[in-house]
Formats: sequence, C-alpha cells, structure tokens
Amino acid sequence: MLRKYFIVWLKSASLSTQSNLTQRFGAILFITGKLIRFGFFLVLLIVIGDRVSSTTGYSLNQMIIFFLLFNLLDMFGQIFFRGIYWFRQQVVTGEFDFRLTKPMSALFQALTRQTDILDLPLFILIIIYLAKNAAAFAPIPWGLFVALTLAGLVVITAVHIAVAALGVLTTEVDHTMMIYRDLSAMARVPIDIYGSSIRTFLTFIIPIGIAYTIPAKAFLGLVSIQTALISIAIAIASFFLSLILWRFALTKYSSASS
Amino acid sequence: MNYSVLKKYWSVVQISWQSGFVYRFNFIMWRVRNVVQLLTLYFLWLAVSGPKESIFSYSQAALLTYVLGSSLIRAIVLSVRSIDSQVDIATGDLNNFLIKPLNYFVYWAARDIADKALNIAFAIVELVLLYLILKPPIIFPQHPSTWFLFALSVSLATALFFMFSFIISMTTFWYYQYNGWAQRFLSFVIVESLAGSLFPLDILPPLFAKILISLPTAYFIYFPMQIYLERLGDEEIATGYTVLVFWIIVLYIIGQFLWQKGLKVYAAFGR
Repeated sequence: MLRKYFIVWLKSASLSTQSNLTQRFGAILFITGKLIRFGFFLVLLIVIGDRVSSTTGYSLNQMIIFFLLFNLLDMFGQIFFRGIYWFRQQVVTGEFDFRLTKPMSALFQALTRQTDILDLPLFILIIIYLAKNAAAFAPIPWGLFVALTLAGLVVITAVHIAVAALGVLTTEVDHTMMIYRDLSAMARVPIDIYGSSIRTFLTFIIPIGIAYTIPAKAFLGLVSIQTALISIAIAIASFFLSLILWRFALTKYSSASS
Repeated sequence: MNYSVLKKYWSVVQISWQSGFVYRFNFIMWRVRNVVQLLTLYFLWLAVSGPKESIFSYSQAALLTYVLGSSLIRAIVLSVRSIDSQVDIATGDLNNFLIKPLNYFVYWAARDIADKALNIAFAIVELVLLYLILKPPIIFPQHPSTWFLFALSVSLATALFFMFSFIISMTTFWYYQYNGWAQRFLSFVIVESLAGSLFPLDILPPLFAKILISLPTAYFIYFPMQIYLERLGDEEIATGYTVLVFWIIVLYIIGQFLWQKGLKVYAAFGR
C-alpha cells in the first residue's frame, strides 16, 4: 500500500522536476526571487534584532534559528503539497471526478500532484547552515526536536487538507492558501513577541505556533515536556479534524462542469 | 482625444468595474488577504516598537501610521489589472486587440482605473474598521498642503508603477514560458522588498538605505509615505518629484520601445 503511494509520488515528482528543468531560465528567475525574499527578510531581522531581543529575551542568533526553521518547515509544504495550487482548477472543471474514480486517495492526488523542486536550493542551504552551526546551540534535545518537527509537519499537512476541503466546498483555494501563508509569516519571528490574544490565536485556532515556533524552541532546548505533549496533542487533533472536514466536503462535491 | 474615444474607454472602465463583482467570493478573499497582510505587519511593528520611545528615528505612532498608510497606497499604486497583458502576449490573445481600433496602453490603463477604484473603496472601509477596532495612534499631517503633496506623489507613483508593470509584461514577447509569470514573480519580490511596503527603507543601515532610496521602486510607497509623515524638507520633496517624473518618462520610453520591438518578434503562439 505505502509502496504504491511512494511509486506514484516518485513518478509525479519526477515528471514535475523534468517539467521545471525544461524551462531553465524561468527556474532561475523563480529561484532568484525566492533567494532575494529570503535574504531581504534576513537583513530586516538583523536590523530589528536588538529590539526583538530586548522585547523577548532571544538573542539574534536564536532569532535567526527561528527564521531558518520557519523557512525549512514552510518549504516542506511548498515542495511536497504543491498540487494544492492546481486543485481549484480540478474542482471547477470537474476534472476532480477522474481523481475520485482512481484506486488511490483523492486527497493524496490533490496535494501531491505537483512537486516543486525550485525551493530545494534554499532548503539545502538552510540544512547545511543548521548542521554546521548546531554545535553552537548544544546540547540540542534531538529526540524532542524530531518529535516536535514531525508534529509541525502534521499541522502543515492538516492545513493543506483543510484548504483542499474548503476548495471543494467553495471552489476557492488560492486566496485561502495565500491567507494561510501570510498568517504563517508571522512565525518568521518567535510568536512570543505578539500579545497574548494573538499568541492564543496562533497556537489554538490556526496552530502556526505549533507548526513553526515550537520546533525552533525545541532546537534551542526551550521546550518543556508538558508543552511538547500539548503541542503533539494539538497537532494530532488538527490532523483528524481536517480529515473530518475533507470527508464532509466530499459529500458536498457537486461535480459541476463535468 | 475626442468625446467618442473617451466614451469608448469609459465603457472599458465600466465593464471592468462590473466584472470585479462577477467572482465576488474570490474578490472578498483577495481583500481578506490584504487585511491579513496588513495585520501581520501591524502586530510585528507594534511588538517591536515601544509606546513612548522612538525606534530608528520613528515614534511608534509614526511607524504604525506608515504601516496603515502604506496599505492604502498599495491598494492605489500596486493594484493593477494590466498584469493580464502578459497572458495575452503568451497565449496569442493579443491578436484580438491588435485588430481592434483601440490603444492597447490606454485600454489597460482604463481597466486599471476600475480595478483601483474597487480596491480603494474596499481598502478605505477596511482601514476605518481596523482603526475603530485597534484604535492605533495615528499621525495626521499638520500642514494642509501636505495632503495635496501626498495625493500628487501617489498619483505619480501610480503612473510610474503602471509603466514598470507594463515593461515586465512586455518581456513576455521574448520569454513567454509560464505565461510570463517567472519574471512577474521576480518583479513582485523586488517591489515587495524595495518599495518600502514592509517598513520604511531608512531604518536600514545608511549605505544600504541610500542605495534603495535612489531606486525608482522607492517612489511606489516609501516616498509618498515620507511626504505624508512630513519627514522631508521642501528641497527633498522637489528633488523627489523631479526624479519621479524623470523615471516616469524613462520607463514610458522603454515601454514603448519594447512594445514596438516586441510586436516584431510576436508570433501569436497558441492561436
């Protein structure tokens, strides 16, 4: 079962990669844009670093870790769930009918139809940087970090599932996705800098804090076992809630235009 | 331009305005997105700045006014329908316009007017609501003439961005893959970073700030907001207007040049 899904993903990822590589100049422009955006915020972070440090108590190096891990986790969704950006078209044209008839999860097809390798250069650069500088933050509780990073990835997956479900219900995907991405951008800095109501919203309503800030805190050894358990529980709950929403959305799918 | 020609483009404005209401939910989500973007920036700067101290020579009130004001300017200056012209070029739909008795530049300018009117109307309502809910410390200009200078700078910035955006679309004549979205994406990132829409450019290190402020992108948002906050002297404002007009003329010439050259390589693929 898992092998079948892996083979299908591998095939579609390979086709997406080939498609990207046929337009090399375009790929360079996209990658350049992503690098500029990344670099510019990094500069801003360095500029406002002192201010945030005095507000939250985090050092500049720690804030850079928050920013890098935010990018790493954000790119996970961008690389593996790129299919979400094509999902609206499938729903409004009725092409989604064909996905439903295939002997494979329609949700899996919706999310992983495309794989975006253009985020890969930055993804690799960040991993190299973190690996080289990990010693400066030792001792890193690796077990906790891995567990909370997985919890973060579960939240990101849940958000993509929820957006796909809303896409079926409302035929609106792109803006919903971009609203999530704009909201998640708040986690480029530790969410501790925001007021308590915003923090609560970013932890329990749309668990961006769980997805991005908690893994970074775990890397820095700043997460208690209690917080870790609550984060994992919220991640699992959000995943199952998103699946319930998806199943409900499918019952409302009208197959319009097909 | 005589009355019948004006009437023709006025019809384009009206139709474009009406088409904005066809996909209402889509448009509402677009506006929600703008509010979310504004709130994320607002809360970031609210957290970073203290109520009684100044940061990078900006008081908290000035910084928050900058964030809210730049949101309104974005709705006026950066909202353009004319980015669709790159799709016309890439898909060959440009043919439909070449055989019609209209000026392609003016056609898209007319569509932009409708789009901006729609976005401005929504942006004003959003800002008033946010003002009532958040009650931020807002700075209003002390000199009445500042309103006029601000409005003039926003109008010129709008013209400048139209030229800039059109040049990006024109590059689709030579690189039409992804319907021109690769170069458009890069331009989005550049404008987002260098126009001062995230923060005032002069909070950056002096050399870096000086370079960025000398670029035409700084006139999209940073320059009008500096006028609004009354941070520029008469001489700086006059120099700013001169540079702004200079860039409008330069970009217009480049745009026309690319349009003429582009039409020669245009092969109407996909038709």
